[in-house]
Amino acid sequence: MRKVKLILKVLPLLFVFGLLHYVLPQHDIAKITSTTEIEQNLSWVNRVFYAQADSGNVASDKRYIRSINTERRKTYLFGFYPRDAYGVMVYRNEDTGWIWPPYFKFDTSDLHAEADAASSLTGREQWVVITHYGWRNKFVSIYPNAVGIREISGPDVRIIPWFNLFFFAFLIVAYFFLRAMWRQFKERSVDPLLQDAGEVWNKVDGHTDVATAKARGVFGRFKVWLATWRKK
Amino acid sequence: MGLIRLIVLGFIGLSVIYFAISIFSRSIRRERLEKEWDANPPEGGDLLARDTYIEDGMAEYEGGFRKKLIVLVYIVPPLFVVAILYLTNSQ
Repeated sequence: MRKVKLILKVLPLLFVFGLLHYVLPQHDIAKITSTTEIEQNLSWVNRVFYAQADSGNVASDKRYIRSINTERRKTYLFGFYPRDAYGVMVYRNEDTGWIWPPYFKFDTSDLHAEADAASSLTGREQWVVITHYGWRNKFVSIYPNAVGIREISGPDVRIIPWFNLFFFAFLIVAYFFLRAMWRQFKERSVDPLLQDAGEVWNKVDGHTDVATAKARGVFGRFKVWLATWRKK
Repeated sequence: MGLIRLIVLGFIGLSVIYFAISIFSRSIRRERLEKEWDANPPEGGDLLARDTYIEDGMAEYEGGFRKKLIVLVYIVPPLFVVAILYLTNSQ
């Protein structure tokens, strides 16, 4: 039972972590080597990782995806610790449109042109910071989506993830705000009801389950509730 | 179509937040008024006087500026959307 409880706690956390890691913007230091267009035949496995159809269009499984091929600096710890190693990375370049993820990106073609303009293909070495979200996975053919390209003078720049800093600060504030709301609601609306119910209940047959269940927390209460279905 | 969906869904979501914060804020205000009275009840103040005190305080809150601030729930997120829209699509 304890293991089940642990799994039930860890799974949502993992899911939230994965979601945030997928959706939040990350910055890569890279050198653009070329831009291409690849044909993708999406299946149910990877369709969710691609943009919806352009507005007014029917969603087709066959589409052309613009991609940006780069050589980027590798990092440890989600980009916080840059390494002196380089590897190739392929980004896709797609509109996100209005809904999800909320980048409101509509400038795919312009970004494509920007990537071409900042390309190191011509022989000059041009380093860029590529802002992107998403994952690269070779087994299901998914690519992170580039949302911005900024030219920099060299690969040794310090990137401060301002958006993520503010986002997590907001998340913490929202958590405490929600907790305060819940506590207020419980104190003013639920507890008086429970107290009344508990008093009646105790009066009826000297039942103490409610009190003990309260001490055991949510799961204990759930177990006591389960027990009420059992034959006495 | 995406824009319409965003507006409709956004409006529903923000309305939920708006009403939740309204109820929360009202509850906080009422509790504070109760505690103010209980901490320092005036001479000869009975339960009726306590009720009047609290209801007066609540009426003041309902017409006050602090309550109107909750409307920011509808204003700030769209501003963020516009800001992100601009930052993503400008070069």
